[in-house]
Amino acid sequence: MAPKKKEEPKPAPAPKPPEPEPPKEPEFNPAEVKLEFTAEQIEDFKDAFQLFDRTPTNEMKITYAQCGDLIRALGQNPTNAEVMHVLGKPKAEEMQVKMLDFEQFLPIHQHICKAKDRGTFEDFVEGLRVFDKEGNGTVMGAELRHVLATLGEKMKEDEVEQLMAGQEDANGCINYEAFVKHIMAG
Amino acid sequence: MRINCSNRTSLKGRSMKAAILIQRWYRRYVAHLEMRRRYTWNIFQSIEYAGEQDQLQLSSFFSFMLDNVTQMNGNGPDLISHLLDSVVDPLTEEVRQLKYEQIVVSESYSGPRLSFPLSVTDTNALLSAFKEEQTLHGKYVLQLLYETKKFLKQMPNVIYLSTSYAKEITICGDLHGSLDDLLLIFYKNGLPSAENPYIFNGDFVDRGKKSTEIIIILFAFLLLYPDHMHLNRGNHEDHIMNLRYGFTKEVMQKYKTHGREILQLLQDVFSLLPLATVIDNKVLIVHGGISDKTDLDFLSTVERHKVVPFLDSFVSLEPPEPPREELEWQQVVDILWSDPKNQNGCSLNSFRGGGCYFGPDVTQALLQKHDLCLLIRSHECKQEGYELCHNGQVITIFSASNYYEEGSNRGAYIKLGPELVPRFFQYQVSRSTRKLTLHQRVRVAEGSALRALKEKLYAQRSELMAAFQQYDIDNTGRISTSEWAQVVESVLRLDLPWRTLRPRLARLSADGNVEYGSCFEDISPGEPIPPVTPNLAETLYRYRTDLEIIFNIIDKDHSGQISIEEFRQTWKLFTSHLGVAVNDQTIDDMARSIDFNKDGSIDFNEFLEAFRVVHKLDVKEQQQG
Repeated sequence: MAPKKKEEPKPAPAPKPPEPEPPKEPEFNPAEVKLEFTAEQIEDFKDAFQLFDRTPTNEMKITYAQCGDLIRALGQNPTNAEVMHVLGKPKAEEMQVKMLDFEQFLPIHQHICKAKDRGTFEDFVEGLRVFDKEGNGTVMGAELRHVLATLGEKMKEDEVEQLMAGQEDANGCINYEAFVKHIMAG
Repeated sequence: MRINCSNRTSLKGRSMKAAILIQRWYRRYVAHLEMRRRYTWNIFQSIEYAGEQDQLQLSSFFSFMLDNVTQMNGNGPDLISHLLDSVVDPLTEEVRQLKYEQIVVSESYSGPRLSFPLSVTDTNALLSAFKEEQTLHGKYVLQLLYETKKFLKQMPNVIYLSTSYAKEITICGDLHGSLDDLLLIFYKNGLPSAENPYIFNGDFVDRGKKSTEIIIILFAFLLLYPDHMHLNRGNHEDHIMNLRYGFTKEVMQKYKTHGREILQLLQDVFSLLPLATVIDNKVLIVHGGISDKTDLDFLSTVERHKVVPFLDSFVSLEPPEPPREELEWQQVVDILWSDPKNQNGCSLNSFRGGGCYFGPDVTQALLQKHDLCLLIRSHECKQEGYELCHNGQVITIFSASNYYEEGSNRGAYIKLGPELVPRFFQYQVSRSTRKLTLHQRVRVAEGSALRALKEKLYAQRSELMAAFQQYDIDNTGRISTSEWAQVVESVLRLDLPWRTLRPRLARLSADGNVEYGSCFEDISPGEPIPPVTPNLAETLYRYRTDLEIIFNIIDKDHSGQISIEEFRQTWKLFTSHLGVAVNDQTIDDMARSIDFNKDGSIDFNEFLEAFRVVHKLDVKEQQQG
């Protein structure tokens, strides 16, 4: 993680716009979310919801920990931070224990679906291009591994391994357009 | 300086953004993979249970046959006697033993030569030989089975064990012909011995290709360490199950000369396997489960070798049926076939065609009745190789990894010491899976599951189309996704996430509706089939396995041939039972057309092979090389 910028003591009262910290987000309120899904979409979500329901009596409930997975399985790609936000910032120990039912899931999912800036194929390629030192369409596998494990919402070693499995060529390079296609197709 | 600073910051900022973007997409990719893995598992499991339901269909056909055969004035196929005839072998024990001893094994045979009583040399030789893919000579198989039968005869129905003689007892679940799993268990946990006792909880055979090797090894250790090796009977240790699920075929393929006699001996051995094991009077181990009627004391008195679970379900015993015999049958079937469920109560297990679904209250009651603390059972495949339920009072242990497909599940075994706290050990055989990534494994398993599902759709095509068309009043060829899902679920009776699966099974039209005809596009008949009406063809696709079993029963000497007359009569009965309207002429034509060499007998395997479906995409892939 990049080190936090040291705040300089400022005598002047003129407020400096807080940067680069993002503006403090209001707490997520599911009641304020307007559901815009079609009936067909809701049926699709219900179908998938049932697939993730592991309750022994099929109560149509999933754990908080599964919520992010379900949203992603349905085609969205929120960050972990965004998921925690819509879940109301639960504590770590609550994730496996607290449950939500389908009615509670819908506004959460709607909020994620409405979020802008989902990232297109081009954005994704651009992101990887940052690590393309030689500008030749490839990135070093080792560097990418390092980045994914140390920056952003860090991935664990075995997650990185799974992602990169079979992607590097003999020189340890990855053609990132192919890589992106591989990830987006999955 | 400043510019450099901001450049560096900017680069860091961009790297951060890029990393987050990649991580987001990765997490989406993983979640999607997980979803595919889950529905693949659901597909395999539902199809397996549906297959067991087909078994029920078969037994009801046999009942039907019994009822109707008398009306044919003895012109029907001699199926009844074929079914009821167990081993009719007039040889006495001594004569049989001598006969086996006199079988000559040629000099060129390089496999193990067993000598009885067995020693560690023999078991080691067997293990080495099987690792090298050798086959044990029929003579030794017969001798082994004969000795096993003698040994099992003096065993009780319920075996009581104690942990005081050894540190821990190892309990394994279903193996289903997977030799790799057995060898992996022995590798991880050591071979059976006085210091390392084992219990194998049934279903050693069927489905996997090495069932013969497994039972040879298990029986050999049983004879070698009679006090430290214990085998419980499973529902697959049964003649009719073996016909359906592959063990019979495996034996006949590996043992051309002695196969039939081996199968006959196996029937006896299977029926003599003990039904339950109890450890320290506290832990009960049975293959399937229990019912609210289960009583260990009564179970101990049952004449277990006389109970043939599958056959007895439809063979009418001489009236008036002695109530005791029926009760005995019930007790045994419950032990071998039941499954736990989460709701209280005890209901008939319609899926399996036998046994019960038993709830936590039933478990609690039984454990209390016999002062037990734990029930260990197998019978159901579990993703992690084991699963607890009923508040930890029931453990399911399953030892065949990759049961449905490469990478589908792990296998596991339990170690139980004097403190009776189970420890679980998991494993997964991975010949080729080690080289595959998770993504590839999911894709392979998913492909296999979807193929099986498409075959099911194809096999009930006309019923499905009729139901689709009910929604499609204007004959557009399209219906809504909800309607499509509803039809498929009700016709196939498989509880699956049909909406999620839809993209893999059927096409959408431009207006977002499902083109229901598209779910059959990928499948076509394999070879040119004999001249039959589409109706008949569909029946054949659907009941292929049942017919195979029936023909195999008729074909007592396993020659692969039955007479035309037998074929005709069987077919007539079967279609009549199913309510499929077929006239006599059609059947006669069909029979005549498949008697290729006009000698009055039919090679039914060849006939049935014609009714295998082919997946067009697979064919295309093969053609592209």
